[in-house]
Amino acid sequence: MHRTGYSNGNVEYNLGGSGAYNFSQHKFQPRSQPALRRRRNLIIRLSLIIIGCFAIFLFFSPSLRAGILGVLSLGLFTASEDSQLETVRYYDLSHVQGTARGWDREERILLCAPLRDAAPHLPMFFSHLKNLTYPHNLIDLAFLVGDSKDKTLPLLHELLEDLQAGESPKERYGEISIMEKDFGQIVNQDVESRHGFAAQAGRRKSMARSRNWLLSAALRPTHSWVYWRDVDVETAPFTILEDLMRHNKDVIVPNVWRPLPDWLGGEQPYDLNSWQESETALALADTLPEDSVIVEGYAEYATWRPHLAYLRDPYGDPDMEMELDGVGGVSILAKAKVFRSGVHFPAFSFEKHAETEGFGKMAKRMKFSVVGLPHYTIWHLYEPSVDDIRHMEEMEKERKEKEAKEKAEKDRMDKIKSQFDNPAGQWDKDKSDIREIAKKAEGNEPTGEKHKKEHVDKVAAAAGKDKTGVKGKIGGNKVEEAKIVQDIEEVAGEEEGDQIAP
Amino acid sequence: MPIHSSRSLRRTNPITLILLAILTFGFLYFIFSSPDGTTTTPVSGIKQAANALSPPSLPFKKVKKGQEGQQLAPPVVHYHMNNLTTSSNPIANQETVLILTPLARFYQEYWDNLLKLTYPHELISLGFILPKGKEGNAATAALQEQVQKTQKGPLKKRFASITILRQDTESPLSSQDEHERHKLENQKIRRAAMSKARNSLLFTTMGPTTSWVLWLDSDITETPPSLVQDLASHNKPIIVPNCYQRYFNKDNNKWETRPYDYNSWQDSPTAQQLAKDKLGPDDILMEGYAELPTYRSLMAYMVDDPQSNPDVGKEVLLDGVGGTALMVKAEVHRDGAMFPPFAFYHLIETEGFAKMAKRLDWQSYGLPNYFVYHYNE
Repeated sequence: MHRTGYSNGNVEYNLGGSGAYNFSQHKFQPRSQPALRRRRNLIIRLSLIIIGCFAIFLFFSPSLRAGILGVLSLGLFTASEDSQLETVRYYDLSHVQGTARGWDREERILLCAPLRDAAPHLPMFFSHLKNLTYPHNLIDLAFLVGDSKDKTLPLLHELLEDLQAGESPKERYGEISIMEKDFGQIVNQDVESRHGFAAQAGRRKSMARSRNWLLSAALRPTHSWVYWRDVDVETAPFTILEDLMRHNKDVIVPNVWRPLPDWLGGEQPYDLNSWQESETALALADTLPEDSVIVEGYAEYATWRPHLAYLRDPYGDPDMEMELDGVGGVSILAKAKVFRSGVHFPAFSFEKHAETEGFGKMAKRMKFSVVGLPHYTIWHLYEPSVDDIRHMEEMEKERKEKEAKEKAEKDRMDKIKSQFDNPAGQWDKDKSDIREIAKKAEGNEPTGEKHKKEHVDKVAAAAGKDKTGVKGKIGGNKVEEAKIVQDIEEVAGEEEGDQIAP
Repeated sequence: MPIHSSRSLRRTNPITLILLAILTFGFLYFIFSSPDGTTTTPVSGIKQAANALSPPSLPFKKVKKGQEGQQLAPPVVHYHMNNLTTSSNPIANQETVLILTPLARFYQEYWDNLLKLTYPHELISLGFILPKGKEGNAATAALQEQVQKTQKGPLKKRFASITILRQDTESPLSSQDEHERHKLENQKIRRAAMSKARNSLLFTTMGPTTSWVLWLDSDITETPPSLVQDLASHNKPIIVPNCYQRYFNKDNNKWETRPYDYNSWQDSPTAQQLAKDKLGPDDILMEGYAELPTYRSLMAYMVDDPQSNPDVGKEVLLDGVGGTALMVKAEVHRDGAMFPPFAFYHLIETEGFAKMAKRLDWQSYGLPNYFVYHYNE
């Protein structure tokens, strides 16, 4: 090394003791070149050998080729797909307790709807869904279709596809699940057997089962609220979710009424399952056997309970609250934590109640707040009962008889008319002739004539209306008839006024 | 130095190169044929959830950040719950099992035991609920570490899905010591809180595809590896093994076992009379306390003599069940049977559950000669 330093002639620097200048670039480089070349050769040879090994390896064990490819493409292909597949979910339940302003805090609602032979009501239900003002993307839908003999299932699929076809993501609903489960109902779903007292206990227990199946399969750790809604609600405010949520109660129900035909009084309380407990009912419950179920709204058990439905005042404050013990299932908004802590729809006799009434009782038992809004009303679809149908049939028969009678009368009149000459044409002709003559004769005095003509027209109009009045009577609609009579009187009055005016 | 290396290379023997080649070959072979060839099987074969949560028992695809808005509408998922079976041959019917554990303390032995279960892991979903607070955080951290390890490990050992829930502690009990925990007056509050935790866990993790629910406490550290199959093979709506504890007997310097869970029992007329006469509507009657002798027949004492080659599959009817290890058909829970956090026929939590199931016409059974073992504190 020192030798190269000297030959380079950098003696003085060498004496300085700096090691950096000890090397002679010129002398060293040529020597290193063949070494490098040799090493490069070696590298090439080595890699060739490795590749060769690889090829042989692949040739002999084709079964592992896929695996090798997987490893070769390391983080690019298989592995990335692998890491995207997530198996661990982590949730903090304290974030989904439910607050009064859920729409601001992006709280998710699970909307549950049990369906059975519900095809006729589905289009109406979906029109309600489309109109809900709560952000749709925060609502998950869950349906349980069971024991349906009609086209509920295909229709549901069709409507859901339509519902999710919306342009903006906010219009679309969240997770949608349809559970198909038949429980083997013994009880028919028609109105008479559905509301008969004897069938109630069994029917309500099986209803409770299907509700529980639906909820337990659909409730997720992301839900803050659960909303139960029957499909046969006819009218409800679009803001119902917000309206109920605003009260910030654990369980809350609106008042449920139904419209009736006029001859039945126009409207009627529908849901009698929302009530407050009474001493009488508690005493009654103690006397009943373990498995019996008290059902509200039947004369068999006089409970003297205050019902939410009967407290309605159409002009009352819609925000007024009433403490309840039993609730009806037409429209229930509950915090998801109520269901999480175990409250459900008892399919057995829980404190002598089942299904939604038992649900209210159990929620109360677990110290949750259960309230109803007596003056906030939604309207259930009117399905005529058997009595109503019989009554309507009678009315229909009456109407037909009356119509036949009217028709006979009309025919008789027509016959008379056709048998005798109608002189009206001749009269008109004469009248216009006279008018012509009068115009020609006295062109300077037309007012009296004109007034007379108007008078004639009005009388004719009144007569025409009278005719429709008769029609209304045939239809059996008293209101319309009364209105028409009034109209006629009004016309007559005007006429009088007219006569007085000039 | 460079001179040296070049010299050594020049001298390199062709034999060395051949040896090197063989070594490379062997090395490659070792890599690709590692004992579990499963690491490299294509992942696309696994069933996936269509949505992040539907159903919760399957893995799902992560949504990339910034893509949420452009997502397609969530699909409509149709579940045929009529086809769901719970049979004595769960593996053949591909029945999914949901193992639920309310966790306050994490025991490594528990996790190891879980991994040893021979039931196909792709049919097992796990659910945990942990309290918040210091202890809960520590347990969560320990659990998540193990979960990460398992779910990144060999496919065969991975579980189909794992749900971890956190909950604000309702229980006013700060101490979880064994003595403090077992005082009678504290029991009602503790077990009510426990019931709520169990219910929260159950109702949020049970999906429409779940067939069985296995309740397994976090301090169960030893079970037969075929636990799921064994319990399912009885094809009962509710079935409980006998829960014992191993301890070191200082008298004869031997490891022995003793009964641990007294909540599995057959009711007695004494207990019924006691409930009728002495208890208010909100009072509860519990087992294993001298204050309230119930004279119920406890499953813990129904064990046959181990010397006489007892029948492991012996079944007994039960009126109350313990929750340390408890196998339930999902339909029992779906019908509404839950863990009452209030006095239900003077019973609470798992015992109340057995009663509620009975009200729904589901009978509970016990296996007195089939053991699981509790951690010894």
